[in-house]
Amino acid sequence: MASVHDQMAAAGKVKRSKDLPQGVERLKEEHRKVVKDCRSQIEHWKKVENDYESLQERLRTLPDKLSYDIMVPFGPLAFMPGKLVHTNELTVLLGDNWFAKCSAKQADALVEHRKKHVKNTLDDLQKVMKNFQNRADFTDDLEKLTGDTGDFVDIREEVINEEEVTKGKHRLAHKANSKPKQVYLLELEEDKEKKEGDDERTTGVLSEEELWARLDELERQEELQDERYRLDSTDTNGEDTTSSSEEEKEADGGSDVQVNGHQKENGWLPTSITSQMNGTNGSHPEDEEEEDCDEEAGNGLPTIYFSHTAEFKKVRINTGKNTTLKFSERNEQKAQAKRKKKSGKSNGHSPHESYKITSPADIYRVFVDLVNGEPIPRKSILKSRSRENSMCSDTSESSTADFEERRAAFGRSWSHDDATHSDTSDGITEEESPTGTSPRTNGRFEAFTGTVIEKDPLPCSIPHLTIAPPALPTIPERKLEEVGPEAPQEPPKRMSKFKATQLHQK
Amino acid sequence: MAEAIHKKLQSELEKYQQMQKDVSKSMSSRQKLEAQLTENNIVKEELALLDSQNTVYKLIGPVLVKQDLDEAKATVSKRLEYINGEIQRYESLLKEMERKSEQHREVLSSLQQEYQRAQGQAVGKFQKGKKKI
Repeated sequence: MASVHDQMAAAGKVKRSKDLPQGVERLKEEHRKVVKDCRSQIEHWKKVENDYESLQERLRTLPDKLSYDIMVPFGPLAFMPGKLVHTNELTVLLGDNWFAKCSAKQADALVEHRKKHVKNTLDDLQKVMKNFQNRADFTDDLEKLTGDTGDFVDIREEVINEEEVTKGKHRLAHKANSKPKQVYLLELEEDKEKKEGDDERTTGVLSEEELWARLDELERQEELQDERYRLDSTDTNGEDTTSSSEEEKEADGGSDVQVNGHQKENGWLPTSITSQMNGTNGSHPEDEEEEDCDEEAGNGLPTIYFSHTAEFKKVRINTGKNTTLKFSERNEQKAQAKRKKKSGKSNGHSPHESYKITSPADIYRVFVDLVNGEPIPRKSILKSRSRENSMCSDTSESSTADFEERRAAFGRSWSHDDATHSDTSDGITEEESPTGTSPRTNGRFEAFTGTVIEKDPLPCSIPHLTIAPPALPTIPERKLEEVGPEAPQEPPKRMSKFKATQLHQK
Repeated sequence: MAEAIHKKLQSELEKYQQMQKDVSKSMSSRQKLEAQLTENNIVKEELALLDSQNTVYKLIGPVLVKQDLDEAKATVSKRLEYINGEIQRYESLLKEMERKSEQHREVLSSLQQEYQRAQGQAVGKFQKGKKKI
């Protein structure tokens, strides 16, 4: 046993735990054995099939002549010239010591029947071989996954305090008493249908209750599994990638029972969290305020860590005249973080030292309302001015009049948000249209793409003047693209507004 | 004290090995039966392909004995049923033996633990030797 163990350890890759390569090697060996067995069996049966083919040929040619001159085997060592007669009379072995006298054609039919059996066996063997081949390939992939080789990157996010994630009440779906209406309906129906027996009625009610009970049970199980997976994250080697990713999705959805209501959000959130595998810290995407610098988890995959900042707010976005989208800031920051990571640059954009933006949260600090001379933090950058006393507006027409005024009045022209918004959205959509489109497909996050101000978030008025005009002609198209699916009525309004601004400028 | 346990261990081990051999024997006979089953199935199908004009023979020792086609079909069917019955019998037998061997295995492991406690390191080596077997 010890020698075998040593051999395995020597043959396999040296990893932190010796059991892992040994187990994988053993598994691969078993797979290979089965595949080899299958191959040899397939060889054998193919030979049998060929034999039957040649036999059939012989059977077809045999009755051509009445008799053949042949060399008859005489014992083990001698042959004798002789004749083959009665060429159409054959004694066929049917199996199990049964014989039958048949003609050549009948024998042909029998052989055909046997060939069918052989073909079936061959097919089965092929299937088994393919199956085990797939298994072997899968273990290979698994090995690559756990090791440093391959293109797999683990992206992890450490959630410190889960309570911060969702402020306010937790939205629960499928609570037992959350849908009383249906029950009432049922009862009404039952009252009406008095023809049916009591048993049926009671069973109908019970099944409803059972369903809810079952749903509760399942929810509880899922939560338990979430806990388990989180705890066992060091143990699993990515074997449950798909299932754990689903678990993670729901875990990230607020670590509570946001099962159905937030499926889309969850889908969007951890697209990067695909496996539960640990890896060494490959790259740190950004230096945000609260970061977990877990450098070494002692695992094989390169890992990218990102985390959120402390401020989690619900952001309301005004994407049109009267439409607002509501989503949690957490999503936005995550997406921003991802995009930042993708773009490879972190926060080197802001030229102004006074408002140096190193994280999305900084943007909110910068964009404050000036109410009576006092800065009040604003809930959303894109809040429509008509709604609140904010200086930011997106698409509403009321902002157009103040556009010039604001630009003149304030050094930091954050009021340009629609222009910047469009500008940046333009830039952003140019840069990162793939990421922009994907949230767009989730109905909630369309305007969301526009809030990310990566390029030059605080331009001074002069450079902005230069930037704005060339951007303007193209913006309507972009806007059309962006808002097309949502509010088809918007583009004409925007165009008019931009024309107005152009006129203003002139 | 250790010696007694050691002896007990030996006897239990032998019994267990015997059980394992029985199990493997029944397994192989069951496999043979399976092969016969498939063969007889093929014979049955091929007999169906023939007509009464062909003469059917049965090989009994060195002699080919003429048989009637219908008789042959009946015989083959009966044999098939017999084989099926045998297979089922062997199945139940195998299950029984599996259960018994499980019991033996448990007894063995408990005895091993006792022996370990009684002896200490020497048992470790002994165990390794046993596992190699």
